[in-house]
Amino acid sequence: MDLAFSPEERAFRDEVRDFIATHLPDDIRRKVQAGDPLVKDDYARWHRILHERGWVAPGWPVEWGGTDWTPVQRHIFYEEFAYGWAPRLLPFGLNMVAPVIVEFGNDAQRARYLPKIHSGEEFWCQGYSEPGAGSDLASLATRAERRGDTYIINGTKTWITAAQWADWIFVLARTDPAAKKQEGISFILVDMRSPGVTVRPIQTIDGGREINEVHLENVEVPVENRVGDEGDGWTYAKFLLEHERTGTAGIAGCRQQLATLHEMLERESIDDRRLNERIAQVEIELEALAFTELRTLAAESAGKRPGPESSILKIKGTEIQQALSELALDALGPYAERHVAPKYFNYRKTSIYAGSNEIQKNIIAKRILKL
Amino acid sequence: MDFTLTPEQLLIKDSVARFAAGDHKGDNWPQFAELGWLAIGAPDELGGFGGPLETLLIMEQFGRGLVVSPYLSQAVLAGALLRAAKREDLLAPVVEGESRYAVAYEEPHARYDPAQVATTAVRDGDTYVLTGTKVRVLDATTATAIVVSARTGDEVTLFAVPASAENLTVTPYASEDGHDVADVRLDAVRVDGASMIGSFGEGLSLLGLALDHATAALCGEALGLMAVMLEATVQYTKQRQQFGVPISSFQALQHRMAEMFIEVELARSMAYLAAMTLDEQHDDSVTRARGISAAKVQIAKSGRFVGQSAIQLHGGIGMSEEYKVGHYFKRMTLVERLLGDTDYHLSRYLECRRAKAETPAEATVA
Repeated sequence: MDLAFSPEERAFRDEVRDFIATHLPDDIRRKVQAGDPLVKDDYARWHRILHERGWVAPGWPVEWGGTDWTPVQRHIFYEEFAYGWAPRLLPFGLNMVAPVIVEFGNDAQRARYLPKIHSGEEFWCQGYSEPGAGSDLASLATRAERRGDTYIINGTKTWITAAQWADWIFVLARTDPAAKKQEGISFILVDMRSPGVTVRPIQTIDGGREINEVHLENVEVPVENRVGDEGDGWTYAKFLLEHERTGTAGIAGCRQQLATLHEMLERESIDDRRLNERIAQVEIELEALAFTELRTLAAESAGKRPGPESSILKIKGTEIQQALSELALDALGPYAERHVAPKYFNYRKTSIYAGSNEIQKNIIAKRILKL
Repeated sequence: MDFTLTPEQLLIKDSVARFAAGDHKGDNWPQFAELGWLAIGAPDELGGFGGPLETLLIMEQFGRGLVVSPYLSQAVLAGALLRAAKREDLLAPVVEGESRYAVAYEEPHARYDPAQVATTAVRDGDTYVLTGTKVRVLDATTATAIVVSARTGDEVTLFAVPASAENLTVTPYASEDGHDVADVRLDAVRVDGASMIGSFGEGLSLLGLALDHATAALCGEALGLMAVMLEATVQYTKQRQQFGVPISSFQALQHRMAEMFIEVELARSMAYLAAMTLDEQHDDSVTRARGISAAKVQIAKSGRFVGQSAIQLHGGIGMSEEYKVGHYFKRMTLVERLLGDTDYHLSRYLECRRAKAETPAEATVA
């Protein structure tokens, strides 16, 4: 057992740190530091820079432009994002649909979609939740009816981040209404420019407009846009969710939040023993979680696929994000500078999205503790 | 970075696990010496091997088996102290199991702080005369000598006092977890100059390092305790029937157990992190202290939650003396406070943080 980073890993860290320091555009860095929302062009520019360096899709197979890094290197890479105030790229294409296409798609799909996700030419969003299907996702009602070589899709998808920017949406739709709940679902890729697709923004309590409702009305989609087998979509959906959860610990983001909090305290000359202790407790928990993530990554390096353990990262990571946003609000008071309260409001989402934390506890109870 | 155990580490883990699962009542010190468990961390020439990680593996299994042993004090704490003081001459018989040192550092009203020392050592020719009171001294009754911290002017210095010394009174008292605890009174105990451990005035830095080693080890024990409490709770709720079904089918209980699981895993991470900190940060006492205190804070929090939840989910049987989980809970409750409670370690963490005056993001780099 060797719990320390190797010299190679440390050298890699320095390389990444240096790259971010010299290549991240200043205006983007300032936005991230200030907590300002990024626009599509910010993501696109940073995407292109990482793409040029060959670092845009660390988790992908090398033949499609992955980096062949160890999980520990990937971890270091994203840690450095935090230190350098670099934004994480949107995950919907790179980290969600791409792994599904790699794993379950056919050659033609891999050739059609992966290069454009990799280059950033096409933006993606995720069509999972519905007004009537949240935690009980398998009860989804969006229907994909097959007519010859075409699916006719009808339904409403909701809480969709970045739909307003997206070129594509991956949709879970019911292809066999007679089958049992989980069995009649398929995983279908839909061009957002198809006739019958409408995007309606949903304003959130923090004033943000990052999420949307997407209506699909008699949208015609070629059958070749289905990934994998008809009716097996639920399997792919679960595969994707486990990938999604590993990322949602958001350790690097927590470190950014913590650094911002400390800067605020310093700037405002706030030095309160009670507050310091509460921050320290969260900071310590973050250290524990960061190391837990490393243990998960090390297991992955040893060949284990991300499993139900990722639920720990999701639950604890989001709790810490929320705790830090709350501490910032506590530190600066009710009419604090403009980002503090909105961020706190916004971050209530973290324990809801990507499978609510209660659902994660169900997963731990059933799949790890076998209750 | 590699989390797999080496064959040697697996061997230690398995042999300690076998010991901890068996009947381990009574004094097992000769057996510990024979198995090499007293040589962990000692220099090669004394037959030593391993370090904080091996100690963690041993202590975790001790926790799992609820082993009541002076290992923490007489092997880990005293061993680290003698190593740091470069006293191989005293360490050799410790590794052999012949000498056994207790460490008396805490005083009444000190609230865990080793720097609060009122005990004095006054020089008299070639000897020192020690006067004062130490409390909550672990395993003093089986020790051949007691290391005492004493004020020598502005500085604190350590002295090894033979257990048989005149004017030394050891008053053991009952503990909730069966461990050997005593108050130690020194009424002008006279020791010779050679009994000084480390150099003059080096007491607090030696103690700081040794207590960090002991605290990391204690985190390992706590991990074992927590793991067993979680396993027992899962097992019990699966077999206990109410309303015609196993109570493990109730979501309120499932979520509580999921939370226990998370806490155990966070505790495991911090126990490893503590061992790693000791391995890497020998020369940077502030970083080391911060890492160890962080671990203790997390372990204490996790341990309390897991322990209280284990009792709650067992219901009445959890309160019963004849069932095991209550005993694990009691030990965990004391471990939470042993070698410094959460208030103490949180303050220490903050002091270290301030002393370093690093940027916060850097401060949390693993």
